[in-house]
Order: sequence, then C-alpha cells, then structure tokens
Amino acid sequence: MKRLISSALAFILATSVYAATPIFEIEIRNHLFQPDTLTIPANTKVKLIVYNRDPTPEEFESYELNREKVIMGGGKAVIFIGPLSPGEYPFFGEFNPQTALGTIIVKGTNDAD
Amino acid sequence: MLINSVILVLREVLEAALMISILLAASRFLQVRLRWLYYALGIGLVGATTYAKLLNPISELFEGVGQELVNASLQYGTFAALSLVAFLISRRRNVDNSNHSTLPVTMAVAVALAVTREGSEVLIYVSGFVQMNDFLGSVGVGSLAGAAIGFSVGVLFYYLLLAIDSRRALMISLLLLGLAASGMSAQATGLLIQADWLSVSGPLWNTSAYIAEDSLTGQLLYALVGYEASPSSIEVATYAASITIMALSTLLGWTLFAKRSDEPQ
Repeated sequence: MKRLISSALAFILATSVYAATPIFEIEIRNHLFQPDTLTIPANTKVKLIVYNRDPTPEEFESYELNREKVIMGGGKAVIFIGPLSPGEYPFFGEFNPQTALGTIIVKGTNDAD
Repeated sequence: MLINSVILVLREVLEAALMISILLAASRFLQVRLRWLYYALGIGLVGATTYAKLLNPISELFEGVGQELVNASLQYGTFAALSLVAFLISRRRNVDNSNHSTLPVTMAVAVALAVTREGSEVLIYVSGFVQMNDFLGSVGVGSLAGAAIGFSVGVLFYYLLLAIDSRRALMISLLLLGLAASGMSAQATGLLIQADWLSVSGPLWNTSAYIAEDSLTGQLLYALVGYEASPSSIEVATYAASITIMALSTLLGWTLFAKRSDEPQ
C-alpha cells in the first residue's frame, strides 16, 4: 500500500513537473546575448530568465514578441513568452542595440525532437 | 551610439510630451493656470529617480514580475486620471466656476505617473553609461538631442491645437486624449500578459507588414494612440473598453451639467 501511495505521489510529481512552464535561460555578457539563438516549442508558453552579467543595465526588447523589460546590472529578469506559432522572433538589448542581438526560433512540436 | 541614444530617449519622451501638450492646450482653452505642470514634473522626477533606484528589488517581487506589475499600475493609473480629466474638461465647458483645483490636480497626477514610468527608464539608461565614463559624451549628446526633438514635437503639437478654432479644438483634444489613454491602458494589459498574470492564445492580427512598430510611422502612432502591430484579443478588448470609458466620462460631464449652459448669461 505504502509503495502504491509513494509511486502515485511520484507520478503526480512527475506529471506536474512535466506540465509546468518550460524554463529557458539566457545571459548577457559584454553586451552580447549568450546564447543568441534559442529554440522553443510552438504553441507553448515558456518562462525566459535573462541574467545580466554586465555591471551596466540592459533592456530586453522585442517588437515581434511584444516584450520589453529593464534588467539592472548583475540582475535577472523573468519574462513569459508565447504561446507562439512557428517562426523567427528577433529580440535585442535596447541599451546596446548594435551588439546585443538575438533570435527566438519557434519550432513545431513535430520537429522539436 | 549617438543615434541609439537619440531614438531611445525620443521614444520615452514623445509619449509624455504629446500627452502634456494636449493637456496644456486644454488648460489654455479652459483658462486653467499652467502651474500644475511644474508640480507634476517635479513629483514625476522624484518618482522616476526613486523607481530607478529601487528597480532591482522591485523586479524580484512577485516571483520576478514586480517590474511589470508596477509599470502596469502606473499605466492604468494614468488612464484612470485621464478619464477623470475628460469628465472634468467636458464639465468645465458648461460650469465655469466649478471646483477650480480638481482639474489641474488630476492633470498633474496623470503627468506625474507618466513621467515616473518613462523618466525612470531614461535615468537607468543614462546611469549605465555614466558607469562607463567613455560613453558619456555621445550618449549625453544623443540623449539631449532625443529629449529636445521630443520636446519640440510636443511644442509643435501644442501650437497646432491652439491654431484650431477653439470650439473644435477642445473636442479634438478630448478625442486625442481618449486614444492616448486607451493605448496606455492596453499597454498595461500587455504587461500583465508578459508577467503571466493574464494568459493569451496568440495575436488577433498582425499589421507589421503594413506599419512596422519600429518604423517612424509606427513609433509616432505608438506614442499617439498606442499602436501595437500584433495585439492579443485581451489587449484589443482592453482598448475597446478603455475607449468606451473615456467616451462615457466625456458624455457624462457634458450632459450632467448641460442644463445650466442653456440659461441666459
């Protein structure tokens, strides 16, 4: 019985983790996004965490994603994105738009693997 | 580097400058003294500095979406103040000696909230480059140029409104104010989506092929009416609801006191 409960618990835990919003992480270093390309699944809401490793502030901005958020030097930002249809969505650092450039590639669930 | 600073500061200044010029023109038509603007700018600057200083801890709040929530509150707050302004302006039309201080105070609240939001971003931007001394020259010049262009567009807009026949100008001011305020309210809803406080299924339409958001027209329309190329259904609904609220508060002010204007003077 105990085993049944614990395996049921494990199953619930596993499914809830599976159902949770997927998390993706990007860093800003020397006014560059690392990585500068991120592939996320289509039609899925994802949680993007951007760590600013520079001492200076940056603003994550994307017209295509309708997102805009200031990230202080040494700080981090949580930005929710999607659900999106497949395609390419460029983003940039508004405070350093010449160097801080990146793209989010949204791929359909079929070719995600 | 120079042109980046011009564009960034211009974008932030333009929205506030257009709103201020509409409110200033309305003040002129209604013979409201312009002193409220000094208080609004002063309070707005203090607000912007405080917000910029506290941005890091604020961002950490509410599981990392504190910044979105504060910005959305400032935007919704500006909208609320502007809808009260619309009511008071249209009431003023009929009641000359009605409560003199309410209208300027409400205008000041709207401007102070907008300056807090837009100003904090400019301050954070500039402060980052002050840290790296070498950029200060071109960033400083660019920021000043951006602010100057934004200010000039505001002044131009103000005189454009004053040049119109005054009966019509007040209606046009109210219409522009309604569109600008509704744009801010829709942007606030966009921030709640970004914070995952509201869920969306995707954009309702996409007009970026016709007017790109980063084009000159797109930027001007953004500042004037809150143009968004690919809005979600909730943002469109917010915009529609906000326009309705602005129209209703204008009509309410217009009709509630309309009888008195029929009386001989």
